[in-house]
Amino acid sequence: MSTYDIAIVGGGPAGLAAAERTLAAGLSICVIDEQQRPGGQILRQPPATFSVPGWLGGAPYRKGRALLDRVSGDARLQWLGGRSVLGVMPDGEGFALTLSGTAGGIEQVRARRVLVAGGCYDMPVALPGWTLPGVMSAGAVQTLIKAQQVLPGQRIVLFGTHPLMIVLAQQIVEAGGEVAAVCFAQPFAAMARTALAHLPRALRTPGPLLAAAAGIMALRRAGVPVRYGAQALRCEGTDAVERIVFSNGESIACDVAAMCYGFLPQADLIRQIGAEVRWSDPAGGWEAIHDEAMRSTVPGLYVAGETTGVAGSDAAMAEGALAGVAIAQDAGALSAEEAAAAIRKPQAERQAMQGFIDLLRGVADPRPWLPEPEPETLLCRCEDISAGTVDRAIADALEVGPSFGASAIKLRCRAGMGLCQGRTCEHALVRRIASARGCREAEVTGFRPRFPARAVSVADLLEGAA
Amino acid sequence: MSMPTTTHCDILIVGGGLVGCATAWHLSRLGFKALLAERGHLNSGASGQNAGSLHFQIERRFLEQGEKAAADGARIVSLNRLAIEEWKGIENMLGRPLDVAMHGGLMVAETEAEMDLLAFKVARENELGLQTRVLSGTQLHHKASALSPNLAGAAWLEDEGHANPRTLVDAFADGARGQGAVVQTGTALAGLSMQRDRTYRATLHGPDGEITVNTPRVLLAAGHWVPRLAGLLGLNVPLYPAPLMMSVTDRTEPVLPFLIQHVGRRLSMKQTEDGNLLIGGGWPSRLAKRADGTPDLDRPAIVEPANLRANLDVGARVMPGLAERSLLRTWTGTTCISADQLPIVGEVAAAPGLFVAAGGSLFTLGPVLARLLARTIAEGAAPEELTMFTPRRFAHLDAFAVLP
Repeated sequence: MSTYDIAIVGGGPAGLAAAERTLAAGLSICVIDEQQRPGGQILRQPPATFSVPGWLGGAPYRKGRALLDRVSGDARLQWLGGRSVLGVMPDGEGFALTLSGTAGGIEQVRARRVLVAGGCYDMPVALPGWTLPGVMSAGAVQTLIKAQQVLPGQRIVLFGTHPLMIVLAQQIVEAGGEVAAVCFAQPFAAMARTALAHLPRALRTPGPLLAAAAGIMALRRAGVPVRYGAQALRCEGTDAVERIVFSNGESIACDVAAMCYGFLPQADLIRQIGAEVRWSDPAGGWEAIHDEAMRSTVPGLYVAGETTGVAGSDAAMAEGALAGVAIAQDAGALSAEEAAAAIRKPQAERQAMQGFIDLLRGVADPRPWLPEPEPETLLCRCEDISAGTVDRAIADALEVGPSFGASAIKLRCRAGMGLCQGRTCEHALVRRIASARGCREAEVTGFRPRFPARAVSVADLLEGAA
Repeated sequence: MSMPTTTHCDILIVGGGLVGCATAWHLSRLGFKALLAERGHLNSGASGQNAGSLHFQIERRFLEQGEKAAADGARIVSLNRLAIEEWKGIENMLGRPLDVAMHGGLMVAETEAEMDLLAFKVARENELGLQTRVLSGTQLHHKASALSPNLAGAAWLEDEGHANPRTLVDAFADGARGQGAVVQTGTALAGLSMQRDRTYRATLHGPDGEITVNTPRVLLAAGHWVPRLAGLLGLNVPLYPAPLMMSVTDRTEPVLPFLIQHVGRRLSMKQTEDGNLLIGGGWPSRLAKRADGTPDLDRPAIVEPANLRANLDVGARVMPGLAERSLLRTWTGTTCISADQLPIVGEVAAAPGLFVAAGGSLFTLGPVLARLLARTIAEGAAPEELTMFTPRRFAHLDAFAVLP
């Protein structure tokens, strides 16, 4: 079994930036990712056999693509693509990572240090009708376009609170699709007020703001309606989604309804190993607690990018660079002076972005606008557990005291016990528990993440044993 | 629920697992004013984390420790017979479905040597009135076609099976509350002392602050934390933590109506009402450690991947279809074993009014032990069935205790 100086979990902007810094310091590294090719979700590459002219040619992708080109061309990079990390365990002075491999079976990798840069995923929101075929996440639509050049439907409605909808709508139009409407739940005035309050600091990095403005203009030219104050109530249809209904009674016909209420950090691995996390406002989920050098609360375990709170790919790149420098320094490959010099630029970049990140978080804040499930709406769609069943379990638990979290509700009603390992319903359980207990989400403990972080075939595990 | 800062009860029960809640159920039914304090949430320890086996054959862990231990294991058979009756009546008693499935259990053997061990075991069990019988490989295959045709045979007991560890404790707790017991979660025992009049004063830390409880009786039913709690009184209970692992697959159509164990290997396997396969059998995980290297019982134990694979390997050898399933989750839970492997249940000799109940296999045995323990508490003397489990067998460990 190979032992690396550093195993990087996640080959997106944060992981690649850390790889660049640690390779430069002469450390042996591997980068593990579920995708076959590096880039993460933001730079999700089509298969190598595809030829896609002008792939992600826009300005927001330029910096990331340059990083991708530099790092993926480095012969010293040990790229372990197409693999899921099932678990990270303490092992002597370092860690043992269990991977589900490409050719069946599992692999073990040892590393003295581990960086988890796991990215984020679309927050699934349970509204009536959300299990109809055709209701999907914005990220899924985007992935199909980026990686497969496929449009999932003929007439797409985007709904939610997150401005990523602007970017996605453009990508759908460029790919030849029809966007029936982009529906922001929040009223325009509220968005504008929040944006203005953050604007002075956000203007330190004007790029994303200009891109957003250009996006809105482009949509206008393309004739895509952008609505504000359009709160989705439910999706309707017989065998698949046919329309989405809004709180003002209006409905829009569609064959794809893509939701975009924000993103949750991927934190299952770091929680599995016992690193401390906190509830990630405003969208929710759990973000890793770390010091200024991106060290988690577990010695030898580092974090960067969306795993530490969703802030976008530029922030992820800066954090990845900071983590890479700290790892190189902690490994003795950089002196304190060299490290101090090396972090200056990424640290300044990361700080400069905070204004825009705060603006985006404020504008996109989904909390006042999340649609409500009906009692029979499924919250846990792996185990078919409805919101009503979950609420009853919460009420029962509350009768013997307020000190319970999501695990207690899982035990009572099976929500979160299925194939997705709770990634879909955990945030909803935490919100409902907090509301019933009358406390903040941050005071509610989530599920206890377990091995394996991804469901794995028993045959694969046994093959690895042989 | 908010409580006055000083309160009195007939018995303070520490631990909201199966034994604590079931004893609260029986005692409140007998008119006792019971206060149950649980540090976390109900069912958050071994009671909710075990794999729900109802096993009444002599356990492999006794057979593998030589004849003396096998004889001890045999002594538990009389209690197992009571436990069978307890489980048969439990859904009626608690008035709700608890996924109790007693369709039989098979302890399988792969080799002729293991078949000999089964024959020895079955002979002892039959002498003690437990109706196990040996099945040949052919008979076994006829009974359970999902199992491997390579198995040499099995011991069959028609009363074995499984129940749902997720719902049983809540059923007892709800019933106890309906009968007047007070159940407080998020409430830890922070102090315990014996007064001059030999009653107890306990300090609880709860969500609304500190509560003082004056009570003539205390029951420590906190699993592997019992030694720590008994330590508040300077007493010694020889229980040791045993961190284990359990695994669950995705759901599938009904293929396995029986509880499966293995006489020569660590294995328990069953299919839940929901269709998941549950695999366990006593494979150890590793206790988490504090920064100073000492075991940390307050954090979950850590999965040991080699043991997980070995566990699944035995499972797939016994039932090849297991390999076609997906592993959803492996979790750890910490049970405990006593110095002589038998549960410790009853009144502590050095501290009248102090009761303990812990020590392994307490999902299968919990309901009947709680009934017997409640009788002990109500009648002031232990029924005969409990004498082999009394803490008095370890009274020498408290020879130097200073009480009150």
